[in-house]
This record gives sequence, structure tokens and C-alpha cells, in this order.
Amino acid sequence: MIEYLLLAFGEAIMVLGALGILRFPDVYTRLHAATKCDTGGAMSILIALALMTSAPVLIKLKFLVLAFLIALINPMVSHAIARGAYKYGIKPKVVVDMYAWDNP
Amino acid sequence: MNEGTLLTGAVMVLTLTSLLLTYRVLFGPTTPDRIVGVNTITTKAVVMLAIFAVVRGEYYLLDLAIVLLMVNSVGGLIFAKYLERGGAID
Amino acid sequence: MHFYLKEHLEEMRRRVLYEQYRAQKIPVWERIALTWGVLFPFWLIVSGSTAPGNLVIGAITTLIISSFMRDMLTKDIRPKGSVLQKGLYFLLIYAPQLAIIMMFRILESSVKVARNVIFMDINPGIVKIETDLNSDTGIAVLANSITLTPGTLTLDVKRKLGETYLYVHWIDVETLNREDAGEKIKGDIEEWLKKIFW
Repeated sequence: MIEYLLLAFGEAIMVLGALGILRFPDVYTRLHAATKCDTGGAMSILIALALMTSAPVLIKLKFLVLAFLIALINPMVSHAIARGAYKYGIKPKVVVDMYAWDNP
Repeated sequence: MNEGTLLTGAVMVLTLTSLLLTYRVLFGPTTPDRIVGVNTITTKAVVMLAIFAVVRGEYYLLDLAIVLLMVNSVGGLIFAKYLERGGAID
Repeated sequence: MHFYLKEHLEEMRRRVLYEQYRAQKIPVWERIALTWGVLFPFWLIVSGSTAPGNLVIGAITTLIISSFMRDMLTKDIRPKGSVLQKGLYFLLIYAPQLAIIMMFRILESSVKVARNVIFMDINPGIVKIETDLNSDTGIAVLANSITLTPGTLTLDVKRKLGETYLYVHWIDVETLNREDAGEKIKGDIEEWLKKIFW
């Protein structure tokens, strides 16, 4: 039963994350939506699949390794893209920008 | 309703989500927007491969998903380096 | 003159830090054992079979790889206790608690971003916080955890004179004071990481 709940939760979170990428105003807030919703949704869907399948234990562990790799790689790539976008010259729409104070 | 139908429905939902994200890839105002869109679509493709591995019972697709995830990370880092140098190709 | 003195001071400080790390490294065979203990389960899971020939080939290959890649994973671990003590502590106490904390944080952050998407009540800003971690691995894990916690995204890392600063994009700025912001953003993750990494 809990695997269907996890599957539905992951699908809903992924759809909302895509809507966030469409609706947010600038690159950095879009990166927020992309990273968090993708990581959470993908991890919950993969855990649901590992509970659902009737394969041997080593293959179930492979699903968990995939979830762990997603949680490790996704934030790293988003951090690299955010830093690259700032160096590229895209000004964030923010109320306070301490990074610009220190790097004029 | 059996499991296969449910999981196929999940794949359809993910495909529609990727189709929504294609708007950001095609009409994104700046270059980083397009890169964010491409990365998100690739993560969804990884999840779709994992779901297909369960639906069809062919578990070698999981290895493909892991390799696609790693290629995605390397691609994202290369795009980030490209942005960091100010968009110059040399 | 001024710049020369500053550069000299920075280089001295860095050298002292490096010597401290270098003097407190864990011994060689423990490094090899820890790397092998990470690599062999990964081989086992990815290859996906438990035939005896497969196990022997995997053990020999991962032993060769871990004997000359021993510094990549383990150069930033605090030397405390023996390798068996460390491994058991990590497996039984440290990893499950950290996994449970991070899992609930990921859940909370996805729900929070979904709420932000629906109501669009955002107030973004970039703030600067200070951290006590000094090694590469520790800073990387801390930055990843900050990216996965609700409402924050690491933008850049700056290290100078043995101090480390993180620039964080915060989707809903509550305070500008550095200590309060650090308390709210890092939470108890930093205390957990300081038990193992530099």
C-alpha cells in the first residue's frame, strides 16, 4: 500500500516541479524548483519501485544505488550551473545580493 | 487495475511533464534556462528507464539508467564550465 | 609591500594547515581497507550476481584499484579510533541517523517548493554564511546538504586564511545577520559532519 502512496507523491512532486520551472521569474529560483522537486520525486519513485518489484535482493539494492547517485549528483550539477550563470552575467532578481558586494 | 497499467500511466505523466519542459528549452530567455530544462528532462528519462525495467522485467535497463545519469552529470559540468568562461568557444 | 606581506602570511597559514592535516592522516592499510569497503559492495550490486568466480574477480580488482586510489576518498577523515571501530560506528549509528534526517529534509523541501510554486510567495536573496569545515570533502557534502534543505541553494565557496565562507541563494530571506542565518541554514548537519570530516 505504501508503495502506491510513494509513487503518487513522487509523480505529483515532479509535475509541480515542472510547473515551477515554467512559472518562476529567474534562473536561480528555477534551479530551486528543478533540484529539489526532481531529487525528491525521483527518490520516492525509485523507493516505491524497489518495494514493488519481485526481483532478487541485489536488484532491489540497485534501485537504491540509483536513488543515492541521484541525490549525490543532482545538487552538484545545479550548484555548478548556478555559479556559471552568475559568472556569465545574469543578474538575479533579489532583495539583497552579498555576492555582488564582495565581487564588484 | 494491475501494476503494469499503473506504471505505464506513470510513464505517460512523466512524458507529458517533459513535453511541458520543452517550452523552457525552446523559448528560454537565456542560455542557462535551456541548460536547466535539458538537465531536468534527462533526470526524468532516468526515472522512466527505471520504471520500464520494472514493467517489462528486463533489469539490464537499470545499468543503462546509471550510465545515463553519469553522462548527464558530466554534460552539466561541461555546460557550466562553458558558461563560466563567458560563452566563448575555444 | 602590503600585498607581498599579505600573500606571504596566507602562504604560511596554508602551509601550517597542510602540515597539520598531513601529520594526522590515518595509516596506509586503513585507507586501503576503507576504500575497498566502499568499492567492493558497489561491484557486488552493479554486477548483480553472487557466483564464486565473480566474487573473486571483484575482490582482486577492487583491491588493486583501492591500493593506488587510496587518497581520493579518505584524505579528509579525522583520525580517531581504529578502522573497525570507525566502520561499525559509521554503519550502525552515523549513516542511518544522517539518512533519516536527510530524507525528512528532502521531503519537507519538496513540499515547501511545491507550495511556493502554487502561491508564488517568494522573497529571494543571496546571503553569506561561515562554516568551520576546512577540507574539500567536508565542504562538498555540506554544500550538497544545504542545496537539498528547504529553500536554499549554494552559489559559491570562498576560502581564505583558513576560514570558509558559503554564498547561499535563499528563496525566502528571514534574517541578514550572519550567525542567525548560519543557524537557520546549516541546522545540525554541520555538527554531524564535523564528527567525521575535517
